[in-house]
Amino acid sequence: MMVQELCERQGFLRDKQDELLQEVEELAKHMSIYPHNLAPKIATNLECPVNAKEELLDECEAMWKKLEECQSKLTLLGTETLTDSDAKLSLLMMRVKALTAECNQWQKQTPEIISTNPDVLVELGKEELQKVNHDLEMVLSIFKARNKKLKEDLKREQQWLEEQQQVVEALSVIEEEMKNQVVQFSEKRAFQELKIKMLKIKEYKEELSSALGEFLEEHFPLPEEDGSAKKKKSLAKEPTMQLITLHEILESLINKLMSAPHDPYLTINDTFWPPYIELLLRYGIALRHPDDPKRIRLEAFHQ
Amino acid sequence: MQRQQRFESQRAKMSVVRPFDKLPVLNSAAILLVGTDEDLQRQLAQTILKEKKDFKISIHLATSLPLPAERDHIRPRIDLIVFMINVQSKYGFKNIEASLAHVDANFFLGKVCFLVTGVGRVNHCSVDMSAVRKLGDVYCSPLVFCELELEGIRISTAQRLLRMLQICAGHVPGVSALFFSSLMRSSNDE
Repeated sequence: MMVQELCERQGFLRDKQDELLQEVEELAKHMSIYPHNLAPKIATNLECPVNAKEELLDECEAMWKKLEECQSKLTLLGTETLTDSDAKLSLLMMRVKALTAECNQWQKQTPEIISTNPDVLVELGKEELQKVNHDLEMVLSIFKARNKKLKEDLKREQQWLEEQQQVVEALSVIEEEMKNQVVQFSEKRAFQELKIKMLKIKEYKEELSSALGEFLEEHFPLPEEDGSAKKKKSLAKEPTMQLITLHEILESLINKLMSAPHDPYLTINDTFWPPYIELLLRYGIALRHPDDPKRIRLEAFHQ
Repeated sequence: MQRQQRFESQRAKMSVVRPFDKLPVLNSAAILLVGTDEDLQRQLAQTILKEKKDFKISIHLATSLPLPAERDHIRPRIDLIVFMINVQSKYGFKNIEASLAHVDANFFLGKVCFLVTGVGRVNHCSVDMSAVRKLGDVYCSPLVFCELELEGIRISTAQRLLRMLQICAGHVPGVSALFFSSLMRSSNDE
């Protein structure tokens, strides 16, 4: 309790001292306007100060005395240093006490009126106005600089925006042109090209098949029937079959393979001349069915 | 024996820097810079002196506390102590930690500030940043980070210190050092 009071007192005294110091200094500044030296101790006791200077001197003196009193009280309080272990805790306790003391003092305090002497007030007013003037000039210069910078930034941004818009325009023009081309292309030309391709392929196919047919006729004709007719008649039981050409055999094999790839087998019947079958099988053009010797298929050359 | 003890204890008391041991001088303030990097100290002091101010300022430089007792009577009342911590020097940090024991506890109610330099070169940091922050936290004093080799930062740091000095010396009406230090506490500290 005592300690708390002491701390409060200490805080109070410190603040009082600070306050007094501030006021003393302000008055000292005003004193400098008057061409006199401020003597630290004036022993005389002025009863009724006539002019402002003496009034201020009096106030200064009173404050200095109070200051000295506070100082003497403070020197009576001892020193304490912080040890490492509980530094924070003790420091925080001190802060709490000091802050509460300061807070109480602020609440108790009533504002003091400065001297009502008109000379003093005029000087004070002048100084205040000069300070305000200086501050406002600083503010003005800062805002001017900021304004200028903002204008430059704005100009730069606008330029950039313009350039970007130009780029966008150019790009959109190019896009339009490209779009038209693409539309035309995909609709007309591709179709026509495909048509042409188809025709060409069909032509080629016809060419190939006619060439094949010619080749087969020349080199692989059907056997003559002249000599064997008589022999066949003597046997009298064999019916005369119309043999189909190798061309026809190949055609039917190709068609079967193309139309039904899952079942490309063709059944051999008597219209097929056996030597030609043997020929196809031997040269790997046709293949026999693995289970059924009577069925053959075309080798899948396209796969 | 008793007399000797009393003399020694008195001497120990005197070697501690106290905030209100002398009467203040009109319209002036004194700042004490404590740190092992003397070049930086001198540069900072010169920058502070060049700043525009309307009160007399006296700057005291020291590498460590306690201050030599012989010049104690000439020295004015110290209003603000700035401990300059160089993160690149472990010896300096230990020195400052030792000096903190010679400061009166009442100084830490807002009249002490820690200036941390050398954080820019991360490769050469030999003091852990958490230790520095802990120091600021334990002694409830603000940490000011700056790189004093750069002139612009040096000037702005000098302006900040001057403003703090004005408040600590009581030149600003309505703001006490304790009040100001409470304002300086960042939300990280809580």
